[in-house]
Amino acid sequence: MIGCTDFIPAYSELFKTLDRLGGAAAVEAFWRYLSNTYLGNLRDLVTAHGIRGCWLYWSRTLNEEAADFTMEIDEKAGVFAIDMRACPSKGRLLRERHIDPYPDYCRHCDVLYREVLEPLGYTCETDLSQCDRARCRLTVRRR
Amino acid sequence: MKERIERRAADNAYFHPDFHGALSCGIEYLDAQYGTEAVRGYLRTFARTYYAPLREALRARGLAALKDHFEALYRAEGGEAAFALTADELVIRVEACPAVRHMRARGYPVARLFHETTRTVNEALCEGTPYAAELAAYDPETGRGVQRFYRRAPAAAAEEEGAS
Repeated sequence: MIGCTDFIPAYSELFKTLDRLGGAAAVEAFWRYLSNTYLGNLRDLVTAHGIRGCWLYWSRTLNEEAADFTMEIDEKAGVFAIDMRACPSKGRLLRERHIDPYPDYCRHCDVLYREVLEPLGYTCETDLSQCDRARCRLTVRRR
Repeated sequence: MKERIERRAADNAYFHPDFHGALSCGIEYLDAQYGTEAVRGYLRTFARTYYAPLREALRARGLAALKDHFEALYRAEGGEAAFALTADELVIRVEACPAVRHMRARGYPVARLFHETTRTVNEALCEGTPYAAELAAYDPETGRGVQRFYRRAPAAAAEEEGAS
């Protein structure tokens, strides 16, 4: 059994495998598949609670992942944002010196969440400009 | 309503069992798109690279290194597992696999080849060492099973260590 705490390196290796088998398009196709089959709880929460669904979803996942972050919601303005100061997943990949992470690893978040949120009437913007330091920012806005 | 929360990494323990569901999803996808050998190849590569320090410990310390690794793993995940270690054999009897249990409880589909996360990974851990692995029993419904690691016959061990 692979422990859930070893999942991030396993995930990165899966992206590398898909890239070897079918190139970047195969990796992206998997991200879209994952979004549609695995992120049903985010979809259900946002469908039921509107933008507060984002708050409810990430309140659990980011705490379980022991992330270092600030999360904000303005329901009247329809804006939700995560300022990630230390992403536990990317941080883990940067720390494990004996493995080579998938170079485009961080972009899976952008594809996964966009795929769920845009059809529900939200825009989803991900700033990955500092992801080489395990930092990023996600902003979701009601259209 | 406006709200804001701030968390430091030290505020929480790192434990997100839903990741088992994401891994299962990845295995199912790889199986459907590229077949069984792609799944085994992926898990073998992952185990050989990511668990390289554990494989090194297996060479240096023998099966006690694997016992320490799996005891810590099943303890952290709340799994029920019994360990029997001798000089030449380690048997792990898993009563309930925590990954399968979590996926069943949360309604995540369990991939057809999810057992390869045990079988292929264990076999890869032993590559290039005097030891071999077999998944002696496995119930896909619960993940209950028996994992066995054992010392290869001397000629096979020499050949394996030479090949790696």
